[in-house]
Amino acid sequence: MSLRVEQSLSQLLHEAFISLRTLGKRSILALLGIVIGSSSVVALINIGHNAAVDAAMIFKDMGTDTLVAQFPPKGGSNVPMRTRLDLDSVRLAVPGIAHIGALSLFSGPIVFHGRTTNANLVGSTPDIHAAMRLVMREGRFLSAFDANETYAVIGDQLAQALGAPGDPLKLGDRVRINDYLFLIVGILHNQPRAMLMPVQANESLFIPAEGMRRVYASPQISNVIIRAAPGQDMERIARDTAAALQPQLTEHDVDITVPQQMIDGMTRQSRTFAYLLLALGAISLVGGGVGVMNVMLMNVSERRREIGIRMALGARQRDIRNLFLLEAVTLTAVGALCGAVLGMTAAWLYAWLSGWAFALAVAALPLGVGSTLLVGLFFGIYPAVSASRLQPVEALRDE
Amino acid sequence: MMTQTPAHPDLISLQGIGKRYQLAGQELSILNDVCLSIASGDSCGILGASGSGKSTLLNILGLLDLPNCGQYHFAGHDIFKASPDELAAIRNRQIGFVFQSFNLLPRLSALDNVALPLSYRGVSRHESVEQAQRMLEQVGLAERAHHRPADLSGGQRQRVAIARALVGKPSVILADEPTGNLDSSTAQEIMDLLLTLNREQQVTLIIVTHDAHIAERLERKILVRNGVVHEAERL
Repeated sequence: MSLRVEQSLSQLLHEAFISLRTLGKRSILALLGIVIGSSSVVALINIGHNAAVDAAMIFKDMGTDTLVAQFPPKGGSNVPMRTRLDLDSVRLAVPGIAHIGALSLFSGPIVFHGRTTNANLVGSTPDIHAAMRLVMREGRFLSAFDANETYAVIGDQLAQALGAPGDPLKLGDRVRINDYLFLIVGILHNQPRAMLMPVQANESLFIPAEGMRRVYASPQISNVIIRAAPGQDMERIARDTAAALQPQLTEHDVDITVPQQMIDGMTRQSRTFAYLLLALGAISLVGGGVGVMNVMLMNVSERRREIGIRMALGARQRDIRNLFLLEAVTLTAVGALCGAVLGMTAAWLYAWLSGWAFALAVAALPLGVGSTLLVGLFFGIYPAVSASRLQPVEALRDE
Repeated sequence: MMTQTPAHPDLISLQGIGKRYQLAGQELSILNDVCLSIASGDSCGILGASGSGKSTLLNILGLLDLPNCGQYHFAGHDIFKASPDELAAIRNRQIGFVFQSFNLLPRLSALDNVALPLSYRGVSRHESVEQAQRMLEQVGLAERAHHRPADLSGGQRQRVAIARALVGKPSVILADEPTGNLDSSTAQEIMDLLLTLNREQQVTLIIVTHDAHIAERLERKILVRNGVVHEAERL
């Protein structure tokens, strides 16, 4: 008697589709919950992925071969930082440094032909040019021979801000800072924003470090920028440089940031963010699953009589269970597909609005669709099993 | 396929069957010590007033309900020892149900309704639809195969239900007031159809009815009164 073959798949699918079609409006409403859940999982995974890619790109622009040293004061000391450091001895002490330069920062108004703009005044050593990867549009950068001159190199955006239509800032023009006129010897190309750099070159005026006293009574070195030769161990250079700089300082520490560490930290952070988004998607998916369960329970109670008839015709418990389970899964599968399309569209739209490059996250589709199907299965099991447990005579009885 | 134990040559054999329900804390006895045997090819009417227990008897006969005590052998199977799956298989292969309210599935076409019992045997969809079509031809509804039950008249619906009961080639047809919802001329046609099947294909026919005219046309009359079963004189 147990020589029964399973119901054929085509028959099962045929019935599930007929049933869902006749379920009509209610299954569409349940579908809506599933679509929202599934699409938010897909969209959020993808948006998180794109955000991480974008963040990583910002740092990559700057290059992972650059180190930035800061000099926080020791303890409660308020002794000002030194005005110059012996960088050549550092270069000799640490092999693998390609360029090393120091910055002292001040900000103040710059006047050109009666127009005033606030800008970063950056006292630079000549090697800053290479250490910060500055690219000249016109003229030249400051050299060691300019130490005593009132020469300046101007950033692209600052030059545009000081210029006016018909009166652009050109090489050889002079800009005024306090009572000093500085001769523009170079104009920088537009630089990409470098997140780790203490100054944005576009908005800065570079002047010789030795001349900072002209605009600011007590200039201090705020940062040292180091660029390593290719293929160096950045951690080692950071350590050795800190060790080489420390003897020159009495009241300050040396704190060197390795960009790779920051990129790693940023990636970790964006991953945490992505998990958070994923959890949100999962919660909405569970909400959708409850909707499916609701529809299926209604469906089962409305079709009690049908269940009784099917049992009288010879359906086993597992046939009834499969019937309703397949309906729940078919419902969620349709929802998962719609959700995948909608989620991808939302992620693309978000990337477009944020000005990111859209990249498909590998995990987004399988994870979104797969988790949705699992939710359908999970929330479909209870109604299906409760349908299959009905006694034929009770199911057939008129309400 | 099925081995019949020689101890029970009858298709259906009930001995000392009792059925009780718990209702509002009170024990309600529906059937008492029912002994009945029905041989293959019989046509029986089960008669009785409403509330006499005749529907419960039919449910027990059709394996939709289990009795509380007694012995029931169906085609050699001990019903008390059968698993739910085995009971489902016996219903599927041996019993065809015809209900008073037709009990067709409203979502499915007449053809799909008739094909349904075959799908629970693992018959492929193509083949079961073919057999269902042949069965609909036999009850004279070939051209209505793709109509939904709602688009059919009462008599046509009952024919579809009979086709569904017959498609699995059962040994018994259990009919619960099959003509109860039909007008008298349609009722006549349905009874003719059932009796022809009984005569020509030796299908055992068990009909629950309270209509004496229908009972007249059957070989055996089983009277149910207050949960007790008597058999009237055979014709």
